[in-house]
Amino acid sequence: MDSPPLGQGFVLEGELTPLPQLWSELWQSRELMAILARKDFYVRYRRASLGLLWAVGLPLFQALVLAVVFSRVVRVHTGSNFAVFVLTGMVGWTYFSNTLSVASTSIVEGSGLSTRIYFPRAVLPLVSVIANLYGYVITLVITLVLCPFLGVGLGLHTLWLVPATALAVAVTAGTCLVTSALHVYFRDVRYIVTAAVIGWFYLTPVFYPLSLVHGVLRAVVMANPLTGVVELMRAATAGADSDWATTVVASVIWMLFLLGIGASLHRRFNRVFTDLL
Amino acid sequence: MTLPVVEMHQVGKRFTKYEDAPMLVTAALRFRQRTRRSSLWAVRHVDLELGRGECLGLIGRNGSGKSTLLSMLAGVTAPTEGTLAVRGRVAPLISVGVGFHPELTGRENVYVNGIILGMTRREIDASLDEIVGFAELSEFIDTPVKFYSSGMFVRLGFAVAVQARPDVLLVDEVLSVGDLSFQLKCFDRMMAIKAAGTTIVVVSHNLNAVRIMCERTGVINAGVLAFMGDTTEAISVYHDLLGEARDLEGGHTQDGLRREEGVTRFEDVELLGPDGMPTRHLKGGDSATVRATLRFDQVVSEPNLGVGVVTESGAPAYSDSDRTVLAGPVAAGSEVTLTMSFRAALVTGSYTLALGLWEGDVAQVGASAPMPFFVSSRPAADGVADLEGRFGIER
Repeated sequence: MDSPPLGQGFVLEGELTPLPQLWSELWQSRELMAILARKDFYVRYRRASLGLLWAVGLPLFQALVLAVVFSRVVRVHTGSNFAVFVLTGMVGWTYFSNTLSVASTSIVEGSGLSTRIYFPRAVLPLVSVIANLYGYVITLVITLVLCPFLGVGLGLHTLWLVPATALAVAVTAGTCLVTSALHVYFRDVRYIVTAAVIGWFYLTPVFYPLSLVHGVLRAVVMANPLTGVVELMRAATAGADSDWATTVVASVIWMLFLLGIGASLHRRFNRVFTDLL
Repeated sequence: MTLPVVEMHQVGKRFTKYEDAPMLVTAALRFRQRTRRSSLWAVRHVDLELGRGECLGLIGRNGSGKSTLLSMLAGVTAPTEGTLAVRGRVAPLISVGVGFHPELTGRENVYVNGIILGMTRREIDASLDEIVGFAELSEFIDTPVKFYSSGMFVRLGFAVAVQARPDVLLVDEVLSVGDLSFQLKCFDRMMAIKAAGTTIVVVSHNLNAVRIMCERTGVINAGVLAFMGDTTEAISVYHDLLGEARDLEGGHTQDGLRREEGVTRFEDVELLGPDGMPTRHLKGGDSATVRATLRFDQVVSEPNLGVGVVTESGAPAYSDSDRTVLAGPVAAGSEVTLTMSFRAALVTGSYTLALGLWEGDVAQVGASAPMPFFVSSRPAADGVADLEGRFGIER
């Protein structure tokens, strides 16, 4: 029996959701994802009109602190404008880490809804991926506005931001699909994620250039899925490392790997996640 | 011929229970993780077919598997074995506005909830006025729902669910919320969408609501469909099961007195309807009979036979006793078959009847297992006793 479109019934035989079906259900849920993401963003900032300021202000403030510490105190030489260098790194990193911490618990937290009605459960982590794009875009625009004042020219190369954003979203989505599914079974995943994010930050070239690390550490940093994202964003603004293409390839491989694992987890458990909620 | 809207074939659902919460840290550190687990079939071997515009009731004791069955119908969880097909849009009647976000206004929540229920933005635009009108919330639709009363919450939730024009509406014990006038309005609306072809599945402990709405009712017991068919019969079967369950709990009379073992024993307690056949379902005003066999293990010198009927909430509805039927001492080893006929002058509801034997006025020396039964009476009558009032005007 073929399964009809979502919202028009279903046939259930066994627990698996075949990948083409999962994909088509997700595609049909785009309006749901959009409205839930808008709701997420809106709810967070509605009552506190300063909320939006905080969402944008915090990463900017953190970038400022890092810029001051590493240009005045430690004196890191990046060969380009250090403030813009740190800002672009922070924009990408903040998007990833904020999304990951919320999305990992999203299926568990969404049980009030998901135990009563069916929609592909991947909607829940993907909603965080979309909702955090609002903050990402705002901080990115502010960064771009600041660029000319900080002495960084914008031009055709700024268009690198488009693939950079796409890569950031895809890597984040892949990671979140995996952690959100794992968290339903292993409830300590949220703590593992919190711990991992702390270490991960230092392995991502946010406040130091890739050229400063050598040896094994350089290999590790280059293999970091976020390095490619950050470097691509630098290519659009302050200028990237000479090895940036390699890091982008590493990121793309990671992205495919994570999306693959995420898809297979959701294929297997999509229809039975609620049994563990 | 059109295909059934809902089709279940040998559906079963097994849940796995983990004794200790699985941890990724320990799972990764140990070579092989050992989580103590046990599994349980919540539902098994269920076959079910529902056509357009049919209304099915599902009744059963707590933990019998009703909710699991409903979750599968909603598509929320997949069956472990068997096949389940639902053809059309399913709308679970979400209890008390689940998915409503307190910070969003009523209007915004209607959009979120409508899209969750599978409506398109355009459909919601078109039916917004009707939703707001039905929920009687026109003044408050732009107020964040955190300022709503629970009644307003439920009204809005119900309004969206019925407006989604589902092919299958799943109703889980939500008829008991809201005030009476809104309940009646919901009921009318459900009957209207049923007439328009929506299939409804009602899970409820309110047997009267099930009786009025559903032609067919399934009784679920320990995960299997113990009965499927006519609602009146289903209610009778359900009360049989309730009776068996109380027998198993055993030992206690409904008023909490400990049965004294080894003096007298009531056996084969039966409720007979007006036709003399055993039943658990009486019509208001029916003449009925309780029949029981009483065994005496010891001598009872002043046998005093009693009966008590209590309502579902445990309030006494009727009690009576008699010293004339078993006049004088009864010897040990005797066996008597007793009957008590009565008129079921009761309003609609579940009742429990128990027989008892006292030594004089003091000591209870035996009691039957409480026997649940259901009375369906005129819909307008409420309370306990049906006094069969007749209204008139004197000219």
